[in-house]
Amino acid sequence: MTSTPALPPTDDDLNAYADGQLSADRAAEVAAALARDPALLARVTDVRAQNAALRDALDPMLAEPIPERLLEATSAPPAAARAGLPQWLRPAFAVAATLVLGIGLGWLGREVTLERAGTPTTFARAAAVTHALYSVDQRRPVEVWANEEKGLVTWLTRRLGVQAHAPDLNAVGYALVGGRLVAGNDKPTALLMYENADKERLTLQWRKTGAGVGTGEAAFRYAVEDGVGVFYWVDEECAYALAGKLDRSQLLAVARVVYGQITAAEASGKH
Amino acid sequence: MTASAPSVDAADGLPRPELVAALPRMRRYARVLTGDAARADDLVQDALARAWEKRRLWRAGSDLRAWLFTIMHNVHVNQLALARREAGNVSLDALDEDGGWQPSVRGGETQRLELAEVLRAMGRLPAEQREVLLLAAVEELRYEEIAAVLAVPIGTVMSRLSRARERLRGLMAEPAASLRVVK
Repeated sequence: MTSTPALPPTDDDLNAYADGQLSADRAAEVAAALARDPALLARVTDVRAQNAALRDALDPMLAEPIPERLLEATSAPPAAARAGLPQWLRPAFAVAATLVLGIGLGWLGREVTLERAGTPTTFARAAAVTHALYSVDQRRPVEVWANEEKGLVTWLTRRLGVQAHAPDLNAVGYALVGGRLVAGNDKPTALLMYENADKERLTLQWRKTGAGVGTGEAAFRYAVEDGVGVFYWVDEECAYALAGKLDRSQLLAVARVVYGQITAAEASGKH
Repeated sequence: MTASAPSVDAADGLPRPELVAALPRMRRYARVLTGDAARADDLVQDALARAWEKRRLWRAGSDLRAWLFTIMHNVHVNQLALARREAGNVSLDALDEDGGWQPSVRGGETQRLELAEVLRAMGRLPAEQREVLLLAAVEELRYEEIAAVLAVPIGTVMSRLSRARERLRGLMAEPAASLRVVK
């Protein structure tokens, strides 16, 4: 079979190929050209390596806690602004509205109560925000996919300094999508993402706690942040959070399965 | 044509959970644009205010992140133009190409050195090259989407991206001023 030879790859082709943005046909042509020319292949490899380095350098920023004023700015502006008041009049109204909202806002109020009781809520809130951030991502919700589960567990174990476990949630309808590391506060947090047949996602996150934080009491705590439910608990080594947009009893059922498997794995010394 | 169902969101227009979920990426983009964490958060706040003003322009179900990025890019460009007018005829590059990039890098020592190098090199790129690298390599927007965010033709996106990659490669290849860890 004879065919017209494909045009050699241009600079734009190479960039687009490295970024996965060529049409299937053109990508196949470029791939063939790369197979024949190691120098071209090296350029594509370099671009991909550079992309990965940029992601590694810039992804940690995503896990930083969000300042209050930005969270407030996601709410509709108060009626004063919509009514077209001049700018110099608005700040006073904004402050007043915030004070009113602060008393009424679910998670702010709850946090004040729980802080007094000595419960660590910032971990739960961080877990909820992190869940919201990655669970909606279609292209790259995880860094390592489930087909490399063993390598994923090894990687998370190494980076956290504590044995990682990837619970099997198939019995409750969730399959592992994969995992990633989240840079949280001064300690990295591991994240595993699961998905059910309806493409609803759960995330299991954990990080190493300071020595002696676990009281030995396996109490599940529950919080809801902006529609994301979080069950969280601590054991001797780690703090865990299971997050998802399930109702409380469904999420609790999965949390029990997760807890049971992790405890059993740790008791038997398995991965 | 059937009327569309009334919005369930009492605030009329923008879905709050998705806005909150977009905040970390907006902050990151803003930091790349301004090179400064405090100014970045100001930019995000201004962009959100503008988004609420323009909420009727967003079509429910379309990509909220791309729309927010477009607004923020726009607000940033306007603010730069305003600052330039107020400062007299200072060149755009001088205003936003900065030694002011303040990367804060966490992680182990070796990792910190490598990531810090990438961030430092990024900081030495002109803002429009930093920006296109973020959108293509990190946010992984399609070139057409980037063209819409930046309000430039796709050809411009491609050539900026090519130059940005070339320049970053050159900067990363320079021996670092600080001690290199030898493996």
